[in-house]
Amino acid sequence: MLDVLDAFNIDLIRAGIRLGTPILLAALAGALCNRAGILNLALEGKMLMGAFLGIYLTYVVGNTYLGIILAILLGGLVGGIFALFYLKYEVNLILLALAFNLLALEITVYFMRTLFGNVGSWTDASIQRLPEINLFNTSSSDGFLNIFNNHNLIVYISWVIVVISYIILFKTPIGRHVRSIGENQEAAETLGINVAKVQVIVLIVAGMLCALAGAFLSVGHMTMFTRNISNGRGWRGVAAAIFGFQHPIGVFLASLFFGTADALSLRIQSVSDYPPSLVKLIPQFSTIFALTIVGLRAKFIVNFAKAKFRRSLNNQNNS
Amino acid sequence: MGNQNRKRLIRQFTIPLLAIICGLLLAAVLLLLADKSPSAAIQSIFRDAFSCSSFNNCNLFTTFSLATPLLLTGLSAVVAFRSGIFSIGQEGQMMLGAITAAYLGYWVSLPDNVHSIVIAIGAIIVGGIYGWFAGWLKIRLGINEIISTIILSEIIINFPFQNFIKIPFFARIENSAKFLVFAPGSKFGTGFVIAVSAVVLVYIYLWKSGKGYEQRMSGEAPRFAFFGGIKSEKAALRGMFISGGLAGLAGAIEVMGVHYRINQGFNLMNLGFDGLSVAILGLVHPIGVFIVGIFLAGIRMGAQLGLQFELGIPRELGGTIIGFMILFVAAEKLFQKLFDINLKELFRKKKNA
Amino acid sequence: MKKILEVKNLSKYFETTNVKANSDVNLTLSRGEIHAIIGENGAGKTTLMNMLYGLVSPDSGTIIINDNEVQITHPNDAIKLGIGMVHQHFKLVPSYSVAENISLGMEPVKNKFFIDKNLEIQNIKNLSESMGLEIQPESLIKNLSVGMQQRVEILKVLYRNAEILIFDEPTAVLTPQEVKELLNVLKNLSEKGKTILFITHKLGEVMQLADTVTVMRLGKVVGTRSINNTNTKELASMMVGRDIEFSRKLNPNETGEEILDVKNIMVLNEVGVPAVKGVSFKVNKNQIVGIAGVSGNGQTELVEAIVGMKNIEFGELIFEGKNINKSNVGKRRDLGISHIPEDRIQTGLNMQANIEDNLILSQYSSDQFSRFGILLKSEMQKFSREVIQKFSVASASPGGGVSMLSGGNMQKVVLGRELFGNPKLIIANQPTRGLDVGSIEFVHETLLSYRDAGSGILLVSVELEEIINLSDIVVVMFDGLVSGIVNPDNVSIEEIGLLMAGEKINPENLIKQG
Repeated sequence: MLDVLDAFNIDLIRAGIRLGTPILLAALAGALCNRAGILNLALEGKMLMGAFLGIYLTYVVGNTYLGIILAILLGGLVGGIFALFYLKYEVNLILLALAFNLLALEITVYFMRTLFGNVGSWTDASIQRLPEINLFNTSSSDGFLNIFNNHNLIVYISWVIVVISYIILFKTPIGRHVRSIGENQEAAETLGINVAKVQVIVLIVAGMLCALAGAFLSVGHMTMFTRNISNGRGWRGVAAAIFGFQHPIGVFLASLFFGTADALSLRIQSVSDYPPSLVKLIPQFSTIFALTIVGLRAKFIVNFAKAKFRRSLNNQNNS
Repeated sequence: MGNQNRKRLIRQFTIPLLAIICGLLLAAVLLLLADKSPSAAIQSIFRDAFSCSSFNNCNLFTTFSLATPLLLTGLSAVVAFRSGIFSIGQEGQMMLGAITAAYLGYWVSLPDNVHSIVIAIGAIIVGGIYGWFAGWLKIRLGINEIISTIILSEIIINFPFQNFIKIPFFARIENSAKFLVFAPGSKFGTGFVIAVSAVVLVYIYLWKSGKGYEQRMSGEAPRFAFFGGIKSEKAALRGMFISGGLAGLAGAIEVMGVHYRINQGFNLMNLGFDGLSVAILGLVHPIGVFIVGIFLAGIRMGAQLGLQFELGIPRELGGTIIGFMILFVAAEKLFQKLFDINLKELFRKKKNA
Repeated sequence: MKKILEVKNLSKYFETTNVKANSDVNLTLSRGEIHAIIGENGAGKTTLMNMLYGLVSPDSGTIIINDNEVQITHPNDAIKLGIGMVHQHFKLVPSYSVAENISLGMEPVKNKFFIDKNLEIQNIKNLSESMGLEIQPESLIKNLSVGMQQRVEILKVLYRNAEILIFDEPTAVLTPQEVKELLNVLKNLSEKGKTILFITHKLGEVMQLADTVTVMRLGKVVGTRSINNTNTKELASMMVGRDIEFSRKLNPNETGEEILDVKNIMVLNEVGVPAVKGVSFKVNKNQIVGIAGVSGNGQTELVEAIVGMKNIEFGELIFEGKNINKSNVGKRRDLGISHIPEDRIQTGLNMQANIEDNLILSQYSSDQFSRFGILLKSEMQKFSREVIQKFSVASASPGGGVSMLSGGNMQKVVLGRELFGNPKLIIANQPTRGLDVGSIEFVHETLLSYRDAGSGILLVSVELEEIINLSDIVVVMFDGLVSGIVNPDNVSIEEIGLLMAGEKINPENLIKQG
């Protein structure tokens, strides 16, 4: 079993960062929505859409940056449509999300095949992927700094978004409003906060984040689109948001954890006989574990309070 | 039946009908954008899904056999939803059923029909336990069942069972375990019969039995059920066991009646979520599941054969149509609001006339 | 003293419940006054407050603030006019601090984007000092006592420059010590020039806290008194009304044997606080025991404890001589306890199901309706038709939906189910709420007929008339305790009113149940 440790090296963490980035972006979207009292289960579908739109628009306009920006804007539009359905027409958000995920899966492939022929995956030589950035200007390939150097542009952008999210959520008025809606919507409402407006903004931002996550998959690291390219990362984003307690830093660490597990499962085949799929499932097991702990804790608090009360009752009657 | 009830029923049926029509319309738009003829596409789908030229060359039979897992997973979702638990983990439960079937089919020897019955029961139990577990997590620990069932499903699908027990990958199961096939060339056989029986049984259970009554009341009005002395938690857990069992059975039938083996990375991905679609479009009712299940299987089948081969239209159009339909069902409230407004207008006019 | 608020002929009629909640209400407040509005359920106090705070729009009448006529259509209007509401159920964010909760929605900013947390804390400190309301701005709400949380709510409205503070049942959740502190706070605020308006049904508080009191009843103002010129007796009789025509009928039956013995039970509410603090009484066959009292004094929890929907923390519940503390709802129903719940829509009926499904709720597993676990549809239909006929549920069929029925017919379905099989003990909680006159009569007659047939009935109602007309014995509840058990033939309506408002009456008029 110890041969597993051979897999732990700088490359692993670098891969973990890379694999965790789409999860991170989706998780930030999910955490933001959760904070505003909305359970957003459409992260997977939005990511997939972002992936397709990212590569397609890049192809059409000939510029990766522009293509991604357009994809992000469209992602925001989808988020806005979700908000409209949810707030104005009182549509069941869960059903809507599940339907959207299903639709996104099929319709992206449909368009790929309609536009580019009956292919299983698609790419084009004209599409440029986004560059890696040599942040720290080192030439050596070892050393601690190397973990954080030479990552894709979107990876660095995601880190910036984490910091911005933290600042906005905890240091600005709008962040405080968002969090208050999730904790006690009535408190926000009676103080004149326009809950609907805040939720619309949150859903639009979430849509944009998921689109960026998808774009990273299709034109960030490689340039290709295949059926179900997101492959459950959106759902891992949902889990990471919970695992990270809806906090930007927590979500960052959770996504890193999930990404590293993914990376480890890929590497482990070359160093030991340990089943890679078991390693790949570590995030899932951890999430169930975390959910269980949260549930137990809630129960414990209630029971503790009740027991305390009963004890005080007994004391009253015995004295 | 009262006038108001008639109106209610009409309204209930128009929603999925409108959804289907809108779904088809949107698909037609997509096709037109791609310079293809919508009418040809629709014709082709329906022809290839439901035609039957001879006993050995019958597309309808293949559609039926494709519908089998859809019916069962759809019923699984119906039973879960009617208990008030939004379980979407049918895939994992199916997988467990398939693994159970492969294992028992290969390693165990029993006389002909007994073997398949034992396997079916085994698959139901294993799937049922997994379903029950998700229900337990919700009821005892308050864990959101949508998230938990998806994660539990993912765990099963990716789990390296072969490291713990000897799963007979690629090995065919014994003949005694296989299900009877009526018409060679398609896989239409006992499996379909079981699925249809399940439709009937689920209907009887939910609407004609005391236990099913408990479940429906617990799902529809939990406080009412509590007030009346129904033990809702027990009812819900029972429902989850049945739900898991049905999905497990679906997986077992895939092994016993279709593939006769289990492959590494046995991919049931679509089938699981399709069951959900069937349940939702079928208005969470066994009869709806039956109609929609066959319909959906037909669309997928027709899309695969007809569209792809004949017209060069990607078969994903089938899935896209289904996706749109569910989207419209999900937006039912939207329709209701539009529809209600129209109904009220109609009434006002009639009154004043 | 300067007039700060004047309400003239304010009226409001609610179509949905067919109730005239406020009829020509007149009210005048002077700056610095502490004014109480007292009344029973349905008096119209809440509606008046809601109109002043912009949650409800009046049909007619005027509101004048500082000599200007105003329209208040939304709480934001009210806030701008200097009116602040301190709600009965606090609206605070538990994980935020005091300062964060108070400035939510109007946070001070620096550098255009960021919250100026230091300024925020300073603002709250200044406010709390100038108002004499001590508080730690950085404590988290979830760690504060209820009294302190209320203080935060008060600071919230003061922070938004409220000159008139409306309190909705302010002492409902406070301990006696906290009530004393609140008294000081209110006197302090009044000295600082703030005007206080508070709604209550507790006479004791009114005498302690208020300068002036207005009594409301059935949507009308009965009278306004200065506290120095009145007493609890007068107020109580104004609350319950002198001119009610009671139609008490003699109970022709001999009182049967004891069927329910409630012994000093204590029941917690949803948040774990005792709502029933030690209640005892008995119910016999051929008898109706009425529980009177303003809603919110523990009646809901008492009923839930008796039927098994809530645990009994202390005390005993004896049914036909046996302790049923540990029996669950189903077991108690099997023993013969029926329950007509106060909320027929959420609790008493399944709105999504048809009449049949609703009617067999407690009987679906009995031999009459099922065999080998399968429901006997024909029997169910037969039963449904019987109920529909016997209770005259208009335009209904067994397979018909329940949601389309009128309130009265819905209640008839509930009655049909609960009274099936001649239950030994019937718990009827607000059985005529929201019903039309004809349905009310029907319910009353039905209950009386079951009483005559041998059932014991526990009738819980906020309608004093109903209680007095139907009950053999009246148990008055106040603040989770029994403030008195009386025989309606031997006490005046004013005395019952006093008991309902938490005051004591001549002990000789009370019944002692050993």
